[in-house]
Amino acid sequence: MALQEREEGLVTPGDVLGKAAEVRAGKGAYEHSGLIYASITGRSLTVSPSAESPDQRPTLEVMGLKAHGAVPEPGSIVIARVTKVMSRMASVDIMCVGFKSVSEKFTGTIRQQDVRATEIDKVDMHLSFRPGDTVRAIVLSLGDARAYYLSTAKNELGVISAMSSAGETLVPISWTEMQCPLTGQIEQRKVAKVGS
Amino acid sequence: MEYVSPEGLRIDGRRPLEMRKLHAEMGVVAKADGSASFVMGNTKVIAAVYGPREVQNRSQQMSDQALVRCEYSMANFSTGDRMRKQKGDRRSTEISLVIRQTLEACILTHLMPRSQIDIYVQVLQADGGTRSACINAATLALADAAIPMRDIVTSCSAGYLNSTPLLDLNYVEDSAGGPDVTVGILPKMDKVTLLQMDSKLPIDIFENVMQLAIEGCKAVATYIQEILLENTKQLEYHRGV
Repeated sequence: MALQEREEGLVTPGDVLGKAAEVRAGKGAYEHSGLIYASITGRSLTVSPSAESPDQRPTLEVMGLKAHGAVPEPGSIVIARVTKVMSRMASVDIMCVGFKSVSEKFTGTIRQQDVRATEIDKVDMHLSFRPGDTVRAIVLSLGDARAYYLSTAKNELGVISAMSSAGETLVPISWTEMQCPLTGQIEQRKVAKVGS
Repeated sequence: MEYVSPEGLRIDGRRPLEMRKLHAEMGVVAKADGSASFVMGNTKVIAAVYGPREVQNRSQQMSDQALVRCEYSMANFSTGDRMRKQKGDRRSTEISLVIRQTLEACILTHLMPRSQIDIYVQVLQADGGTRSACINAATLALADAAIPMRDIVTSCSAGYLNSTPLLDLNYVEDSAGGPDVTVGILPKMDKVTLLQMDSKLPIDIFENVMQLAIEGCKAVATYIQEILLENTKQLEYHRGV
């Protein structure tokens, strides 16, 4: 179809970007009958192939302008709030993935064996997390249909913020204990090591 | 009744091959992932797209592609007399199905397995051609939501009254009882994805009327293309790119 003068690089769904023999289809583009078409509206850009890859064709991508909400991937660090603590696992609501907040709710599960790296069968879930705690965890896998599997088995993972029974924010004093500044009461948590 | 005057003018003053004035806007529903309004003459339609998001009804989840759902409804005040039931009646269900099938064919559903895309279309003012306006609005809303598609889908209707093929029928011409051909195409691929007709037409005249509707679709496609590019330039400007 006839195209009026169009600014260089802007494409709409269905625009032909190149031939499949010469370029590869990246994000925002797809291949059909030997041609590469755009699948979203945005700016097209070419990514040169890395030196070691067997396929030396450049990749054509279309950069969209709408930012989709973040989705947890295996290996990403997430910030979550604990909703339920049971004898062998804790349920959490994932709030942020990396530095971006999520746009829809994701559920996570921290199993007893994933709370810490040592003595994993002697873990008491109620001495590690309480409902309402904010934890930093790493995503182990996509899990089952209900929740992602998370792990806090590293020094820098675990509870980063919690409220005491008196209503004050707890201060961490070791990797297993946090203290209430108001009452002096010590509560047990799996604390994350914050700082360098 | 005379729908085309001897001078060649229709009831609303258009020529037989003339479309109604088009106007479209993107991003009209802030909460939706993508939205658009589409106006063809006096027919005004709003579309909102939510997705891809988690499937709400687990039993309908598909492990290899996205589930596309569509709901068409007409506002109470959209027609001359205030309507009582605007959703769930047979016509709305049929049009919802038609819009869903047309758009499902062009969305790259295999890229979003186990997720759901919801398309809601609401007619605010009905003056004929609501089906086409809804498909055009839904296409713009899907593009606004940056959902990957093969191509945009555009739609237009054409009819045959007083022995003249007429493009883009309004309500009065539609109610005349003559044939009403609705066509939906993928303009850049030059493929037809929707073809519906009411009433009867001899096959040779049908070919003429269908070609006319396809020309109308291509004109809509040119307009939608302009809107998409204008919207992208605005977004880039606001982001400081």
